[in-house]
This record gives sequence, structure tokens and C-alpha cells, in this order.
Amino acid sequence: MTSLSSAVALPSSCRARPVGCSRRARLLVARAAASSPKLPDGRRLRVAVVGGGPAGGAAAEALAKGGVETVLIERKMDNCKPCGGAIPLCMVSEFDLPLDLVDRKVRKMKMISPSNVAVDIGRTLAPHEYIGMVRREVLDDYLRTRAKSAGAEVVNGLFLRYEAPKEKNGPYVVHYNHYDSSNGKVGGEKRSFEVDAIVGADGANSRVAKEMGAGDYEYAIAFQERVKIPDEKMLYYEERAEMYVGDDVSPDFYGWVFPKCDHVAVGTGTVTHKADIKKFQAATRLRAKDKIEGGKIIRVEAHPIPEHPRPKRVSGRVTLVGDAAGYVTKCSGEGIYFAAKSGRMCAEAIVAGSASGTRMVEESDLRKYLAEFDRLYWPTYKVLDVLQKVFYRSNAAREAFVEMCADDYVQKMTFDSYLYKRVVPGNPLDDIKLAVNTIGSLVRATALRREMEKVTL
Amino acid sequence: MPRHVSFFSPRHPEKKEARGPAPKSGTRPRLTQSHYPLLSLTLRSKPSREGIDSFLSVMAMATSTFSPRPASRTAPLKPLQAGAKPHLHLSFPRLRAGRLARAAAGEAPVEVVEAPPKEAEPSPAASNGAAVKAEAPAKAVEAAPPLPRFRDERWVNGTWDLRQFEKGGVVDWDAVIDAEARRRKWLEDCPEATNTDEAVVFDTSIIPWWAWMKRFHLPEAEKLNGRAAMVGFFMAYFVDSLTGVGLVDQMGNFFCKTLLFVAVAGVLLIRKNEDLDSLKKIIDETTFYDKQWQATWQDDSPPAAPK
Repeated sequence: MTSLSSAVALPSSCRARPVGCSRRARLLVARAAASSPKLPDGRRLRVAVVGGGPAGGAAAEALAKGGVETVLIERKMDNCKPCGGAIPLCMVSEFDLPLDLVDRKVRKMKMISPSNVAVDIGRTLAPHEYIGMVRREVLDDYLRTRAKSAGAEVVNGLFLRYEAPKEKNGPYVVHYNHYDSSNGKVGGEKRSFEVDAIVGADGANSRVAKEMGAGDYEYAIAFQERVKIPDEKMLYYEERAEMYVGDDVSPDFYGWVFPKCDHVAVGTGTVTHKADIKKFQAATRLRAKDKIEGGKIIRVEAHPIPEHPRPKRVSGRVTLVGDAAGYVTKCSGEGIYFAAKSGRMCAEAIVAGSASGTRMVEESDLRKYLAEFDRLYWPTYKVLDVLQKVFYRSNAAREAFVEMCADDYVQKMTFDSYLYKRVVPGNPLDDIKLAVNTIGSLVRATALRREMEKVTL
Repeated sequence: MPRHVSFFSPRHPEKKEARGPAPKSGTRPRLTQSHYPLLSLTLRSKPSREGIDSFLSVMAMATSTFSPRPASRTAPLKPLQAGAKPHLHLSFPRLRAGRLARAAAGEAPVEVVEAPPKEAEPSPAASNGAAVKAEAPAKAVEAAPPLPRFRDERWVNGTWDLRQFEKGGVVDWDAVIDAEARRRKWLEDCPEATNTDEAVVFDTSIIPWWAWMKRFHLPEAEKLNGRAAMVGFFMAYFVDSLTGVGLVDQMGNFFCKTLLFVAVAGVLLIRKNEDLDSLKKIIDETTFYDKQWQATWQDDSPPAAPK
């Protein structure tokens, strides 16, 4: 771990205003102020953010606000990304999102087991709590616009590659294809520029990651169909999202029906059986058949979802955030919030390490962002990993999972940890009861499973 | 009608007494073992309960009016099975033959009976989230031909009607467990669309803990205790023959007590041959995710000259 304990007594002139966690920021400033060289000619630090999704937009905004000269490169400004589109409540507050960005507020979720046992979740939600469903193109555009108004330069282009610096504090040269709308859709002109650091926010198939040799990760394929269903059926999904679990729907993930602005998204995903994704999709459609009957498929989309972080997330003064780094939780596959948050945290670390853009950053400053992110969210990721391992391994475990979800305490804990991203330790007596109930459910489901094997229909 | 269900009573198919009321002729032929010896292998043996007959005949009549099933299903067997119950019977040859018969009858997976709407092939890894345009911009979600739905007289309003399981005034929990196992098996083989009007609300926790204990834990516990006793006896004999220390003196020795602990733990954890591998896998699995997260710190050479 990086030496955060090197608290040097600061001359007050070097103390920057605290960003994020105040004490740590001051320590960061101390270290940066002590060791990294001031930028020549009083110029500001230049950082390229590759990718304009939630991670890129949040990073560019935080960088620009912190006094760093930022260039945000995005290849498709109106990119309509295939995505569940669910954001937790804390994202709305932490990122000051306007409420009209949220198309729908999901307050009820239905979990459906392999044998169609349906459990309603959401009884414990307070009236002001909800899961926000957004359209990605709207959210991404909003964050980019905010970055632009904070001072970042937003460029429409496709990142090609970068060249490593020739000497210790030399610049990176970023090569990209510049698209100019005035030229029409002709293939863009090659341009390049120099930056001091690169933030790779270009998603699951990140080119920056490839360039820096970050390594690969396992990924799931999420396949989704957008279905426009008749209005009376849409009423059912007014505030409700559904999750289907079962071997027929996915061997290691879940199928879903999420409401969007005026249609629903029906989809499923898998890591291990990617070739069978169409079969799983058909099964998901079958399970929701009555509720989406008469609907028209208006769009079919698929995208990869990382399962775990890349082996290397920083190299030199190049770092990864968001899906490019692999910050997607297991079990629920949530990534938007972590992308935006990691973008922001990375930017804050750069701002602090460069003393608001006046000094050069180093790899150690970028590693501070990694350390902070890992420290803050590791419990969340680990808990979700354990849940996935325990409850997604077989139909019996899924039945037990759905049964457990009927419990009020479970619902409260789940929503607390999802909406506010904190793992709250509950009442220990309730925890013990929960543990006993979990084991009971699993034992019963496994016992039934053994009975099922003896049944020949 | 008193139904005699004893947990340990042997259930021999040959011992089937004559059924009560004759089945309604003209509907389902009653497949008794004497008439169809091969098919009888696929039928689970009828439990020797009297009241089951009238129930079965009613079921047979009801199921004969079902909508035609896809030919790939084993049609003759299904209606009869609708009322019969699985039960705890260690007749492995019968079960294996049952599976073979099912496979022979060409049981098709679920997808065959559906008519999946046609979509364009997605190119998932080409770019982040390739949105694939369907070949026709708007296609209707075609209704698949109806699949046989799960039907059972005792399954009412999305849960088991416990009053119908009553036997002598008390609920027969074994029958409830059997029925639920059968329902889950049916739905696993033949997934159904969910229906908000007939939402399933059954929760296995309504079956009391002692019913689960009696049915599942006790036989397993008996087996494991037996194993532990046999291993213990031979270990004690072995140690005695090697060292001359008698059983009582062994119990005072720390090493022997450790051996005993290891023997008991081994019997508990390793019940099948495969358990050894699965234990190792579980130990790897618990730390794998952590390792993936730590990977970026592994090559943490001091941040010298950047690339």
C-alpha cells in the first residue's frame, strides 16, 4: 500500500482545499508537494479522459473543477447504450442529478424462482426511496455537458493509441481519429496531442486497457430486447421490475424485465454458456409471456459485462476507471454508480496529487485512487460475490434465495446496502436469526432437490 | 379412509393390493404391473394407500381432457403420474430405467415447442454494447403454442391446500414434501409463464422442522453415525494392536483423541468420493475473487520511471 503515513508538516501555502475525504487529501497534497516537480512554465496539468460514459463524464468534470486541463474523447455522442439503466439513490444525491433524468422510479421488485414462486420486494422502502431507471444516452449526455461547462474540452473522436513518454516526466502522445460533424460521416482525420496522464474510461472493450497491457477479465454477455407492450400491460410495470432466476433463464445470472421510459427491457445474461444466450432469452420471454404478450420488439442489443477487475489497473500515468477497470458487482451486475464514482475518485486523486493541476502526477498518486476505491467498496463487492456463489449455483439455491428475499429484514438490509452503498451492520440478534433462516432455507431446498431427483415424471 | 404411511415400511410393487373402485372405463387404461412389466419400471410404485385410488381415477379422467401435448412428451405416462406420488424408495434400477424410458420416448427440451421470434445475430464483443437492429424494425412477440401447465387438485391459489393433505386429522407433511418436489421437477423440465392472477406464494417453511428432520436428517444421521462407529472401532482396534494401549487408556491420550476428532470430521465432510474435490474447490473459490482484486497490487514494484 502506498505510504499515506508520510505526513509532512506542510507550509500553509501548499495546502489545497480538501476534496473527498479531507484528511487523506491533505496527506496526498503533502506527498505531492514534497516530491513531484512543478510543471514548467506554470502550465496546468493536462489529462486525457478516453470515453464519455458515466465514468468519463464524472472524471472529466471533477478534473476540470479541480483546475486540471481536461480533454474528453468520446466516439459517439448520441450512443444509446444497452444497459439495465438502474441507478441507486445515492448516485442521484452524490452526483446532483436532476430528478427529470430519472424516467421511472422503481419501488417494487418481484423475484421469481425457478418454480415460479414470486416474492415482492420493496415493502420496507420509505416513500422517498426508489431505484432510478434512466436512459443511458440521457444520463451520459448530461454528465458530459456538465463536464464541458466545468471547463473540460469535449472532443468527438475515436481513441487509437498512445505513445509512452520518452523521459521520466515526459508527455504521453494520444493519437485519435477526429470526427467533425461538418464533414459528414466520412472516417475522421488522424490527430494527436500531448497529455501528462490518461484516464481510460472507454468501457468493457477498453482500448486504453489493451494499450497499457492491463490484462483480460472474464466477462458475461448480457442480451436484451426492448419490447414495446400495450399500455394496460405497461401499467403493471409502472413501478415494478422483475427478476427471474432459474437454470432455464441463466445458469449463472438472472433474467430481467426492467421498465424504461415507455417500453420494457427483457433480457438475460451468462458468463459460462454464452453460446446459449438465445435459448436463455427465449426462456425469459416465456416466463414473462403473459405480461409482455402483444408487445413489439423495437431493439435487440447485447453487451459484455466484466466480472472482476483487470489484473492491472494502473501503469505509469495511465489508469482505468469504470467498466474498463472491471468495477461491476457480481450477483446484481451493477456498474453505473461504480463507474461514475471511480471516475470521480480518480480525478480527485489526480487533482490532489498535482496540487490542483500545478504539479506533475505520478503513478503513486493514481494508486492512491485505487487504494481508496478498494477500501471503500471492497466489502460490497465481496458480499455480492459470496451471495452469487452461494445462491446462484443451482436451482435449489435459487429457490432458497427467493424464499429468503421474502423476509423483511433481508429486504431492509439489501436495499440499505444497494441504495446507499454502505454495508450496515444490523442488529446482531436479527443477524443470527437471518443466518439460521438462510441455512434453513438452503437445507430445505437441497432436501427437496434430492427428492426431485427421485421423481420421474 | 386411514392411510397407512410408515416411514420404514418396505414398499414392494409386487405387494400391491387390488385397487378400490374400478377406474372409469373408456378413459385412461390402468397400467398395472402385471400387464405392462416394462412400463411398470417407469412408474413409481403405488404406495399402499387405499384412498389414492379414487383420487387417481378422478385425476385420470381430468387429465384425459387435457389439450394435446407435443408428441415428444411421453403422453401415456403423464396423466397417470399426475396423481401418483414419488416416495423415498431405494430402488435405483427402477429410477434408472425410468430415466431411460423417458429418454427413449424422445423427451424434447423446452425450446423445441416454442417458436422463437427471429432476431438478428448480435455482435456482443465487437464494441461496447453493440445495438443490433432487428431485421424487421418491429416484430411481434409471437405467442408460443401452449405448453402443458402444472395442474394438481391440491394446488390451489398458488399454494398447497393443506386440508387436502390431511390424514386422520393431521396434515401428512411427507405428502406435502412429495407434492412440492414433484411440482418443482415439473416446472424445471417445463418452465411456465408466471401469472399475476395465480401467483405462487408457497413457502417451504410452513412445513415444520421436525417433518424435515424425520424425513431427511434422520436417515443421513443414522448412516453417518454407523460409519463413524465402524471407523472408530477399527481405529481403536488398530491402535490397540500396534501399541497395546486399550480403549480406555486411548481416550486419555491426546494423540488418540485427535485421531478420533479427525475420524468424525472426515465422516461428516467426506460423504461421497466427489466431496474431496469439491472441498478443495470451495477453498479455492473463497479466495479467488480476492486474488483478482489484489492483482493490481501484486506487481507493485516501487513506482520508478514510468513507462
